[in-house]
Amino acid sequence: MKRMLKTAILSSALMMGVGIAGPAMAQDDSIYIPNLAYRTGPFAATGTPLMNGQRDYITLLNERDGGLNGVKLDYDECETGYNTEKGVECYEKTKARAVVTQPWSTGITLQVLPKSNVDKIPILAPGYGFSPMADGKVFQWAYNPPSSYWDGASMILKNISDGNLDSLKDKKIAFLHLDHPFGKEPIPLLEVLAEKHGFELVPIPVGLTEMQNQSAQWLQIRRERPDFVVMWGWGAMNAGAITEAVKTKYPMDQFVGVWWSGHDGDLKLVGEQGKGYRSISWSVPNSEAPLMADIKKYVVDAGKSQINQSEGEFDSVFYQRGLMISVILVEGIKAAQEEFDVRTPSPEQLRWGLENINLDEARLKELGADGMLVPFSTSCSNHTGHGGGWMLQWDGAKFVKASDLLTPDRAEIEPLELEKAKEYAEANAPWPVNEECKM
Amino acid sequence: MFYRTAGQFKTSYEADHALFPVRQDAILLGVILIFAFVIFPFTASEFAFRALLIPVLIYSLAALGLNILTGYAGQLSLGTGAFMGVGAYACYKLVSIFPEMNIVVAIALSGFFSAAIGVLFGLPSLRIKGFYLAIATLAAQFFLVWLFQKWAWLYNYNASGAIQVPNIDLFGITVAGPRATAMAQYYFVLCVVCAITFFAINITRGRIGRMWKAVRDMDIAAELVGINLMRTKLMAFFVSSYVVGIAGALFVFLWRGAAEANLFDIPLSFRVLFIAIIGGLGSILGNFLGAILIVALPVIISSVPGAFGIPVDSAMVEHLNIMIIGALIIAFLIIEPHGLARFWAMIREKFILWPFPH
Repeated sequence: MKRMLKTAILSSALMMGVGIAGPAMAQDDSIYIPNLAYRTGPFAATGTPLMNGQRDYITLLNERDGGLNGVKLDYDECETGYNTEKGVECYEKTKARAVVTQPWSTGITLQVLPKSNVDKIPILAPGYGFSPMADGKVFQWAYNPPSSYWDGASMILKNISDGNLDSLKDKKIAFLHLDHPFGKEPIPLLEVLAEKHGFELVPIPVGLTEMQNQSAQWLQIRRERPDFVVMWGWGAMNAGAITEAVKTKYPMDQFVGVWWSGHDGDLKLVGEQGKGYRSISWSVPNSEAPLMADIKKYVVDAGKSQINQSEGEFDSVFYQRGLMISVILVEGIKAAQEEFDVRTPSPEQLRWGLENINLDEARLKELGADGMLVPFSTSCSNHTGHGGGWMLQWDGAKFVKASDLLTPDRAEIEPLELEKAKEYAEANAPWPVNEECKM
Repeated sequence: MFYRTAGQFKTSYEADHALFPVRQDAILLGVILIFAFVIFPFTASEFAFRALLIPVLIYSLAALGLNILTGYAGQLSLGTGAFMGVGAYACYKLVSIFPEMNIVVAIALSGFFSAAIGVLFGLPSLRIKGFYLAIATLAAQFFLVWLFQKWAWLYNYNASGAIQVPNIDLFGITVAGPRATAMAQYYFVLCVVCAITFFAINITRGRIGRMWKAVRDMDIAAELVGINLMRTKLMAFFVSSYVVGIAGALFVFLWRGAAEANLFDIPLSFRVLFIAIIGGLGSILGNFLGAILIVALPVIISSVPGAFGIPVDSAMVEHLNIMIIGALIIAFLIIEPHGLARFWAMIREKFILWPFPH
């Protein structure tokens, strides 16, 4: 290990660099909201509109209202490329000033989740992350409103069985999923439900390296002839699956995806042939809503947005869902500001705020987002809200709402949630639980 | 100048074969160790520990393991990531089956699991060489990652298929898991890396190391002078996979805190291979230099615009980062195809001769 002068020079240079980087970020009267974004890598196509939406809602508040209750919101992105390693690096980089962590990947969520009790920064993972996070007593610092993956799986099954899961008896359901913590999330629930209601579950994993080429998986689907294909896909996997489904002539009305598999861009590739494809969603695009008019006026037309207007990103499901995600976060911050009478709530105060979100229909109407998000409210024992969702259906050119509000069958999910949450706490002992919560 | 070797006489064979025949090298190493053990821990922020120091050490260790196999014994391997995974999963199972086990023992034992798997996949090396062997180790890569995904026992039937590191104490200090402080983890990793580096330096410059080099340079000639090829090659696979396995256990337990099977997929193998190649095959120092270039430099570059208050999108920084690192790798390889270690050796020669050109 001789001759290491160079190591020393390089490392001391590097240390100095980091030394400078820390204090240079000045603290001022603003709320720092970092976002572990991914506009690069294999998931960029689906990530970018979501990040644009999140960014634009914050920009709107800063431009139209001068911030939130007079405090500027400082939105910042740290690029992860959906890579867990980069994600943890970003988490470490931003945590000193952050009021919230928005991990944006189930893998990164799983990494930062154990640290949340130590660092005391709430994790906001709307519509993703670990489903048992709904148990707020165990996961004091983690939030996944308004619906968890298990809620999503339950709603999909409810919808395809017309509300009676027993009618699925002896049917075959293929579960096409990304072979990643995200894709495996609903399997425990689906297995329980398959056992209980007597349908056959065929899990078909798609590896990260074979996302674009799923011929093997679709060959299996052709052979198995499932009655339904339920998809938990993300990024390039969605486009791959939908084009393969068209190629193998799988009936589109028997093909249902989770909310992350309802990306306009993926369906536009097949256009008319994708007609009938459904995706469960807790947000619905509504470009006519007053909120969207404001976004157009203050952000898009003012040239402060990064969206790609010629591609119709403004009307897309994902862009408007990104807006809704920021709506949820800002509601939490606002609740914390009002409860503690502070301008810039601390992460601990925001934890209370996120636990006391009340986005009912009246409040959504007030925000100008009527019907764009499922109404829900959180509490100390319920960190998800379980607002439910709607089926969106591709009509050949765009996604349209194709069902009334669906709600998950909580009686079937809740015992499993409590069990898995308990298991997690035991595996990570000592794990503090919220004793004060009596709900 | 810095490297005046005049007046340093070797009066015995022992002195001539010492670890540091030139006194300045020893002083330099001492200074670096003081930096590593004393100065860095007192100046580094938590971010510097978690994003720079700890990963650089762990990747250096992994590259060191690969370098023993590829650089010293000449057996090209593309399965490093999977062998790291074997170490990590073995350590996870040991810790969950025997919660009382000391973490140092668990990590040391987990190395033996990856060593055994390494020897198994090293068997083809007795028949095939070069690129053909690379393909055989590539098979290990695919098979093992597939196994990590499918064999639910390995991750204790966790729903998400990921392994999570519990809180583990060592002599009353939490060293692994979410409650561990970055400094404790850094010292732990640093001690392990120092110990293994010391071991690696000595094994590579001793009898075994010479056998490896002989096999690397010409295996037929090595066989003719009486070296048992089978034992030598398999020993290289054993020692290399052991070190790689330990690096894998540290990777998950002392740094990441959680891991899923995909983490150990081929990009990780390539990353470690790049570190070894850019650092310099057949060198110990090179692994550290390579890890600094590949692991630490992107982190530093990405914090530059923020430090100077230049408003650039984080996605843009990422694109620039990839371009800069790519250009640097090509530039370094053109300047010195034998890696950064050789580059430093040339600089050192110049220092010794300075101010004379020859």
